[in-house]
Amino acid sequence: MAAPLELYCWKGDWGLPSVDIDCLTVLAYAKFAGAPLKVHKIANPWRSPTGTLPALKTREEGSLSQPSKIIIHLRKQKYNADYDLSAKEGADTLAFVSLLEEKLLPALIYTLWVDSKNYVDVTRCWYAENIPFPLNFLLPNRMHGQQLEKLRLVRGDPTLEPGEEIEKELYRDALECLTLLSQRLGSHKFFFGDSPSSLDAYVFGHLAPLLKIKLPSGKLQQHLNSLDNLRQFCTNILVLYFPSEGRDIPNRKMSVHTDGSDFDNEPHKRRNQILSALFAMGAMLGYAILTGIVTIKRTHPQEALVSAGHDDGGEDDED
Amino acid sequence: MGTVHARSMDTLPMQGRDLGVHPDDLDVMEVQQETKQEILENKDVVVQHVNIEGLGRTKEDYLGYEISEVFNAKNLVDVMKKSHEARQRLLRLGIFKEVEVIIDISEGADALPNGLDVTFEVTELKRLTGSYNTMVGNNEGSMVLGIKLPNMFGRGEKLTFQFSYGTKETSYGLSFFKPQPGCFERNFTLNLYKVTGQFPWSSLKETDRGISTELNFPLWMTDHTLKWEGVWRELGCLARSASFAVREESGHTLKSALSHTMVIDTRNSAILPKKGALLRINQELAGYTGGDASFLKEDFELQLNKPFILGSVLSASLWGGMLFPIGGQPTSIADRFYLGGPTSVRGFGMYSIGPQSEGDYLGGEAYWAGGIHLYTPLPFRSSRGGLADLFRTHFFLNAGNLCNLNYGEGPRAHLQKLAECIRWSYGAGIVLKLGNIARLELNYCIPMGVQSGDRICDGVQFGAGIRFL
Amino acid sequence: MSLAAEAFVSQIAAAEPWPENATLYQPLKEDQILLSDCASSLAVQAYLRMCGLPVQVRCRANAEYMSPSGKVPFIHVGNQVISELGPIVQFTKAKGHSLSDGLDDVQRAEMKAYMELVNNMLLTAELYIQWCDDNTAAEISRPRYSSPYSWPLNQILAYQKQWEIRRKMSAVGWAGKSLEQVYEDVSQCCQALSQRLGTQPYFFNKQPTELDALVFGHIFTILTTRLTNDELADRIKAYSNLLAFCRRIEQSYFDEQDKDGQSGSSRFSKGPSLI
Repeated sequence: MAAPLELYCWKGDWGLPSVDIDCLTVLAYAKFAGAPLKVHKIANPWRSPTGTLPALKTREEGSLSQPSKIIIHLRKQKYNADYDLSAKEGADTLAFVSLLEEKLLPALIYTLWVDSKNYVDVTRCWYAENIPFPLNFLLPNRMHGQQLEKLRLVRGDPTLEPGEEIEKELYRDALECLTLLSQRLGSHKFFFGDSPSSLDAYVFGHLAPLLKIKLPSGKLQQHLNSLDNLRQFCTNILVLYFPSEGRDIPNRKMSVHTDGSDFDNEPHKRRNQILSALFAMGAMLGYAILTGIVTIKRTHPQEALVSAGHDDGGEDDED
Repeated sequence: MGTVHARSMDTLPMQGRDLGVHPDDLDVMEVQQETKQEILENKDVVVQHVNIEGLGRTKEDYLGYEISEVFNAKNLVDVMKKSHEARQRLLRLGIFKEVEVIIDISEGADALPNGLDVTFEVTELKRLTGSYNTMVGNNEGSMVLGIKLPNMFGRGEKLTFQFSYGTKETSYGLSFFKPQPGCFERNFTLNLYKVTGQFPWSSLKETDRGISTELNFPLWMTDHTLKWEGVWRELGCLARSASFAVREESGHTLKSALSHTMVIDTRNSAILPKKGALLRINQELAGYTGGDASFLKEDFELQLNKPFILGSVLSASLWGGMLFPIGGQPTSIADRFYLGGPTSVRGFGMYSIGPQSEGDYLGGEAYWAGGIHLYTPLPFRSSRGGLADLFRTHFFLNAGNLCNLNYGEGPRAHLQKLAECIRWSYGAGIVLKLGNIARLELNYCIPMGVQSGDRICDGVQFGAGIRFL
Repeated sequence: MSLAAEAFVSQIAAAEPWPENATLYQPLKEDQILLSDCASSLAVQAYLRMCGLPVQVRCRANAEYMSPSGKVPFIHVGNQVISELGPIVQFTKAKGHSLSDGLDDVQRAEMKAYMELVNNMLLTAELYIQWCDDNTAAEISRPRYSSPYSWPLNQILAYQKQWEIRRKMSAVGWAGKSLEQVYEDVSQCCQALSQRLGTQPYFFNKQPTELDALVFGHIFTILTTRLTNDELADRIKAYSNLLAFCRRIEQSYFDEQDKDGQSGSSRFSKGPSLI
């Protein structure tokens, strides 16, 4: 064991060690297993040895990019977080990972990459800002296309279009999955007792982005936030295993929160207030002019009328 | 002397290059020629040379058939008439942008005193023309790209390609057209296409990919089309709420069909005819050449037009058709007949008559429909011609029926079945002629004989169509 | 399941009893159906039998295209059409028939997780072997899949399907796997199922649940279907408690009806017997 293995993954943000689900899973597993990895947090997948992220550079098997393969490789290197699990617990791990992949992952892809509001306001924004020029013009769109294609293939529906119907279906499955996970976790600290295992890594990888990234349309987030034990589970792992990222969580979270609420409610309210006040004033003024209570210009009363009418129209449009 | 007359006349055919398009203008031409005939008809002339100038890739032998008649002209009027006809024949080929005729005295060593040379100055169409369109429909945008190669190999062949890329569907069509030299009406077409149609009245979506070959030829007064078509049809439900009957029809089928169409059309216009008749008989045999669908389909269309008092026109139409399944296989929803709508039995919803399941119309295996129209010019119009000529008012009475037949029962039972539950409607409206290919109608309709399950359109109904009852 | 149907489920369907004429549609049994579809169809049939809900099996060449989700089997109950086991379970639940009511929250979570394990690994492995193993695809899958269609449509549709499944495999990260690795995954999955089953008669003690139906559907079909080689079945035969489990379900839910005589269709729909 000379040099530590090298892991390439997406860099972090929003208080997460990485923004990508697979990278988070691998990172968490490595921490749980105590594997000494040299982690390259990058924002350019072309710099990874496989062209995708995450990627683990190994001596024997070349570079690995699937999280399950990376975890198996780490296990072979004696970095095994599942060492203490019974055979039944091992079976449960397999089952719950399947549950995550079949039920939650499609909804996560949808909410991060397909839901147009989230994609335009958050996902594309982040990748466009962080990927170096000129790839930032190319990659986000390509990733969007790939994810949509993946969703179509996984669902087996080649005509799948983003829309309310599919969203409802995916979210129904995902909400059920979250509830099931919450029930399975119960009041435990980790899924199998007091020490984390690969299942915890997978669950953390899938839930943490949902918890931390502030999304404009966040049905899944709302549900996750209502499941206290899962939220606590993720926060715990962040605090215990990723303390460096955890430090700036509070203020970051605060600022994001205020940002979000500003964005969500206040401007609307304020804009509506202003608009309604303007409209009321316009209407009153119009009425006053029409009925002759106020005359602006004795010489050209018609012009005044016309301009008043225009003002009204303009405001209607803004509404 | 002859020269002077000829020169003064040769402006005549040049009046417009649209001569071939408007049959109405032709009358005017003939009238003008009649007036000159007195002076010129006795001058004997010989057409010595006929030249075509401006040819690029077009092969001369291909044009020879079109202009050979000019040599047979015996006098000057004849020469002009024949040249004019030849010019129209050349334009009809669709390979020239412009054709001008110049008639001159023969010159040179072998020139006869009464010899004439006729020269056609032609401008060929470009080797490749392209078009680009964008269309926005309800909930769908599409981009249409068209490429046309007229006169590809110099003998009137034409290759057209159209590609439409939409937000939901893409479709394309590639067609190769080859006329027989000397008989343009006898031609051969090869098509390769993919089209997608959505039929909300049946909650049905159909994607067709196919290949077809078509042979057109005139025979005495009639035009015939022989066609073989091999098409891969993919049917699917338009919405998840589609009825189970439509769901059962979903999937892929392969249809290979031979069909024959005969048309006699003596009408003066296809859209708002004043006189003449149309008879179209179409028969289609599917199954013997491969594929999954097997049936025999027969249908006909008859239309008679007669001028009536005060410039109005009386028109009567009758349609009918039958579909016989072969080999005990049920017929496909895509092959059956549909009836109803603003250009067939008015006052009913689009294709919303007859057998249905949970609100989806399944079509029928037999139908008939008839209509009587009285077309009148717009009242209060100021003068003849102009925009008002595109409009007519009409009063109509339509009737029809669509049903499935039990082919074990015999013709008496069939007639009885077609005669009961007749849907009919009457009303009045305005018709607008769009070019010479389609028409728009705005009608007030009163549907009668409505059966349960039919969707009606009581009152004002708007429609557009190419084929109409 | 269609959303419109779902909306009804909560309100109307609950009030309507299970009709006698409920029908299950699947591809043609003899010539067309493939291992994966057959397994899914058998799972649904087993589930409905466990619930005591009668269903008539109909084979249609275009079943795949009739299904609202493009997957078989689907059931037509009243005027509703529901495809795949998961939605069908929800639908029967709304009608008051459920096999998992006796489970506590953790058990229910585990049950769902194991069902997804079967879908995620066993079903994917079946699809992989059918369409990505060149031998199986050429000798069994393509000819069978396209058997109802005439030339050249049969070729087009079979290759289209194969292409689609291969792309799906690369989307779920299975494209790079070798056949041996897939068999290894099947073993791993069966190992997990065998582990979870232990010595119990059913996965959750005495009563069968939808998980039992799903596992039975897949394992029974794999054991009784002839492929180009027996590797897949052999992998499963290593787990004796799973074999006993399959026999148990076959005897309790399929055999007695067969003896009754109303049988033709039901035996027909299940295929050959294990015993």
